[in-house]
Amino acid sequence: MLLTKVKFLYLCVLCLVVFTVSAQELLTARQVVEGFQSQLLTAMKKGKQLGYSGRYEALYEPVSDTHDLTKIVRIVVGKEWEGLSKEQQDILVTTFSKYSVASYAHNFKEYSGESFVFDSEEETARGGVVVHSHLVIPNDKAVKFDYNLKEIAGHWKIINIIANGVSDLAVKRSEYTNILQHEGFDALIAKINEKITIYSKQ
Amino acid sequence: MTAYLLNLFALWLGKKRVFYFLSLVFVVISGCASQPVLDHNSMVKKTDPYENINRKVFVFNDYLDEYLAEPISNAYQYVAPQFVKNSIFNFYTNLRNFNVIFNDVLQAKFKQSAKDSGRLVVNTSLGLLGIFDVAKDLGLEQNDEDFDQTLAVWGVPEGPYLVLPIVGPLTLRGVPGAMFDTATNPTSYIGAPIQLLSILNARANAEGALKFIDEAALDPYLFTRESFLQWRRNLSSDGKGNQSLDFDEELDESALNSTSTLPKLRNSFKASSLVFDKTIYHFEKAVEDYRQAESKLNRFKK
Repeated sequence: MLLTKVKFLYLCVLCLVVFTVSAQELLTARQVVEGFQSQLLTAMKKGKQLGYSGRYEALYEPVSDTHDLTKIVRIVVGKEWEGLSKEQQDILVTTFSKYSVASYAHNFKEYSGESFVFDSEEETARGGVVVHSHLVIPNDKAVKFDYNLKEIAGHWKIINIIANGVSDLAVKRSEYTNILQHEGFDALIAKINEKITIYSKQ
Repeated sequence: MTAYLLNLFALWLGKKRVFYFLSLVFVVISGCASQPVLDHNSMVKKTDPYENINRKVFVFNDYLDEYLAEPISNAYQYVAPQFVKNSIFNFYTNLRNFNVIFNDVLQAKFKQSAKDSGRLVVNTSLGLLGIFDVAKDLGLEQNDEDFDQTLAVWGVPEGPYLVLPIVGPLTLRGVPGAMFDTATNPTSYIGAPIQLLSILNARANAEGALKFIDEAALDPYLFTRESFLQWRRNLSSDGKGNQSLDFDEELDESALNSTSTLPKLRNSFKASSLVFDKTIYHFEKAVEDYRQAESKLNRFKK
């Protein structure tokens, strides 16, 4: 009898796990973006209490879960990726991931009534989705945020963010490829780390 | 006579049919042939052929800003209360609307020009010469139009990227654009002190953006160039450019640049498929035209 109960309980837990995983898989591109924006606003609201390190901790998981940082790095460095050793590729992805979270923790540090508004969603020719939204800032001009997402292993992941028409990916690609070509890998890593330090001190 | 002309037309359509078939074959064959892919470096060289000189001017401007403009701007920021700064900003933005309306008309944006005129009238009267932005509360948002955007709408190419001393980043098309905008802005005719205050106000407003570049840019020159060009292109197309397609091209660039030929073939095949679809559409349309003309001809014959 006890064994049957345990079996039933095990089955329930299994169903719950399967259901949770399926629910996660079913998140649409819009839900991924809105979920991330909501977590960003939460971190902003607690911004002063948390401080830089608190915001960094709070945003690490949301950024890593919703962004495909490896793919972003590959696009940003373009064909230079092939010239890097496996170790260098890993260092670059890790450093870039830290930099991305640090950038959010630094730039979204306080809350003064901002809110994100969903505008529309469109499919791209190559199977991606662009989620159009804007950030409403009280007594200031709204900032348009367009998120480009790709479906990777059943999950929608953010690949690029376009703020008021300026693509983050394109700006970074221009900088990173140039530094890699003219100054080398170590210089690039040193420059990214320098930025992380600047962000952490302000 | 009419029947003869229609016969000629039908004959021409028949030739057109053959021509479409031949062009279809040609497109499919040429689509399958390998297309040269313009890589990132080639595109950069095309956009910024004077990078060496531009970088030097950029450094000069940076020094000028650091040792002259920034200290004066900081003093202004420190001395002037926020409401004074806001009022001065509103005053100059309102004056700039003369230029915005002019460019609205030149771009045939008549509805927008009516709204911008309303904004100018409301803010100049109720807003006390533009010191208060009353129009915003009435739902009349500030639009951003200039002669560079007008030239873009008229089809003038952007030209190479330039960094001019004191002026800063521009494109070649932006040079006549800036001259025209200066000529059509009432601030240019008010007097030197007002113009100086206008420059000071512009520098003070750019403080946030400049600080952001300082903090985020690994290479401030490239960061400024890329952001500036994308921002200008977005303004010129009213945010309706081929941005979504561009994202996809960026996403697949690593695949295009990789040594494997498979992604290249895949993209080439996709491009060929698109051209094929378009050609099929035109071909079917021509066949339909032919059928209609044929039936008309038959009716005439009867």
